[in-house]
Amino acid sequence: MKSKTTLPVSYRLAVTSRVLAAVVGGYLMASLAAVCLALWLPTSRADAVVTGMMSSFVFYLLAVLWCFACRTAWRAWFGVMLPTAAFATLAGVGLWMART
Amino acid sequence: MLLALLLCYAGFTALCLSTDRHHGELLHSKPTPRRRLGLRVSGWLLLPGSIWPAVAVAGWSQGLVEWCAVLMLSALLLVLLLPYRPRLALGLAGAGLLACPVAAFVTL
Amino acid sequence: MKEGFRQAMAWLHTWAGLIFGWLLFAIFLTGTLAYFKDETTHWMQPEVQAHPLDDARSLTVAQAYLQQHAPDAARWFITLPNSRDPGLSVMWQDKLDPGKRGNFVQKVVDPVSGEAVQARDSKGGEFFYRFHFQLQMPYPWGRWLSTLAAMVMFVALITGIITHKKIFKDFFTFRPRKGQRSWLDGHNAVGVLVLPFHLMITYSSLVIFMSMVMPAPIMASYGDDSRAFFSELFPATDNAPALGQPAPLQSLVPMYTQARAHWAGGQVGRLAVNNPGDVNASVNIFRSGSDRVAQDFGSVVSFNGATGELLRVGGGQSLPTLVSGTFYGLHIGHFAGPMLRWLYFICGLAGTAMIGTGLVMWLGKRQLKHARTGVMPFELRLVETLNIASMSGLLLAIGAFFWANRLLPASFAERSDREVQAFFIAWGLSLLHAALRRGRQGWVEQLSCAALLFAAVPLLNALTTDQHLGVSLARGDWAMAGFDLTCLGSGAFLAWAAWKMQHRTAPQPKAERAHRLNLKQEAH
Repeated sequence: MKSKTTLPVSYRLAVTSRVLAAVVGGYLMASLAAVCLALWLPTSRADAVVTGMMSSFVFYLLAVLWCFACRTAWRAWFGVMLPTAAFATLAGVGLWMART
Repeated sequence: MLLALLLCYAGFTALCLSTDRHHGELLHSKPTPRRRLGLRVSGWLLLPGSIWPAVAVAGWSQGLVEWCAVLMLSALLLVLLLPYRPRLALGLAGAGLLACPVAAFVTL
Repeated sequence: MKEGFRQAMAWLHTWAGLIFGWLLFAIFLTGTLAYFKDETTHWMQPEVQAHPLDDARSLTVAQAYLQQHAPDAARWFITLPNSRDPGLSVMWQDKLDPGKRGNFVQKVVDPVSGEAVQARDSKGGEFFYRFHFQLQMPYPWGRWLSTLAAMVMFVALITGIITHKKIFKDFFTFRPRKGQRSWLDGHNAVGVLVLPFHLMITYSSLVIFMSMVMPAPIMASYGDDSRAFFSELFPATDNAPALGQPAPLQSLVPMYTQARAHWAGGQVGRLAVNNPGDVNASVNIFRSGSDRVAQDFGSVVSFNGATGELLRVGGGQSLPTLVSGTFYGLHIGHFAGPMLRWLYFICGLAGTAMIGTGLVMWLGKRQLKHARTGVMPFELRLVETLNIASMSGLLLAIGAFFWANRLLPASFAERSDREVQAFFIAWGLSLLHAALRRGRQGWVEQLSCAALLFAAVPLLNALTTDQHLGVSLARGDWAMAGFDLTCLGSGAFLAWAAWKMQHRTAPQPKAERAHRLNLKQEAH
């Protein structure tokens, strides 16, 4: 654990990387998931936004859990960024359809 | 709210007694399989059953909230009483069950 | 990182809980006190007299007062007295350039005489309420930090459930007087038994601030025009601008009656009058949150203020707004009667206790390793100091806040700020004290001091006001008497805790009896 002074630097870096993946990457993913819900739900615009915002925290939670459960810090980033990219694509399509 | 509280408390006590460890601690014997089943069934009937008096008094939304609050409180009360006053904890459940008709008469 | 899913979750639970535990403890405790916000305010402003409720009279008085003192304001707000809060509160916002927010002025008016109440300047229970989500920081930093803490709490709860695998097997288990084992049992018991409350309170705090912390969906759907989102959601915020032609404002009482008829007798929470004295004056009557569990911000009846004509009847929620409104209503618990309010309070205390026991356990486990040598590494010493200051220190600070309310002269300039200063000075001193004193001594001294402060509150109240327990109980003023009695009970509990801390090493049979006493205290 952290309190021992013998922890190697690589371990500390890995933990920092995971924390960043969880906090920043997780927020990005949760935001994009909420945007997808807001754009794609077949309800009124305001209701879709409320649903998106309300459920985004569950996505955030799942991202955080994933970041600390997986085997390496690289996988943590990969596991967060993959759904982020998917949500971003979906959101992009949704926005493009809304424009045209 | 009182009737729901009494029913919840009795229900949790029954569930508690249906486990070997607590039955042993409280009544100094192992429950027979039939008794264990009986306690478990009555516990699981009492807990959801206590929704009805809560809802009947306060309506669905407020009643469910009150039921949840009472559910948590009765479990907390039982767990905190058990190590210090096990007889009282059991006695309360019994007295509560006996007082149920009175509480029903007063509140419903 | 440890191997295995459960170990990883335990690791996350431990460290997330430690780093945010102190902050969460303060948020939970002050938030719990906020359930008795109005009662606390009543105690801290004993000058505000309670009168039998009469909404029509209160409304007439408020309108006359505002007409006289703020005829040119941009907006008036009137909050009617209710059974919990006896004060008729009026507020107005000065006219300024559009886009800038004018200053708010708030006064408490006596609903019978129509004069402003000359009460001592005090934030009352509002201080705890504001602190628990603003943390005395400038807008919006405090809100962001507390929402972040709520998210960490959410993670800690879920990882806690995953870690504690025997959740149902150990459901009824609490083994006192077994050292670390008891702390863990207690942590699990208050965690698991009150879990629905913990999950509700944590998730709802995220939902309450969702449009602040998760603005991406609003931006995606509405672009730069986020106002459109809010006026679609809450049509009552969309009011006609002033035309600049003066016209007298109609009496508010008939509008009040009409609004209540629309809600089948539902209570009015507050009234907002936009552009009073203008042709385009509008009156929005908001339904009280104490009527129903789900908060409905759209439940507003709007009138034209100059003609009295009905403009709009809002209300009727879609499923998503109903869900978010339910979260909101459950969190603030405006609908709760006295019994349910006490249950809320107990649940909040259980949450506070869960966080506190977690912090104590983190340290206890690691201290064991250093017990033989007697030398504690710096990090453990730091955690210990913060534990003491964040828990017993906060209690001390709350006690100091109440004492400052009674001891500072009523005519003092910026008195309410001085009360808040007393709170933070006491907290700061407790941190200093905790840093200087060794572990257990620090706990014992601070807890005893806090016990003294709380237990003496009824005495202090009797000496400084004419509303001591004898009077308040005889008059049936349960808010005043309840506050005194709760302080007395808390003092007794803290004294027991200090005593227990002093004699922690050798568990004796005597401790049992004291423990029982405490349980009664907790249950009260």
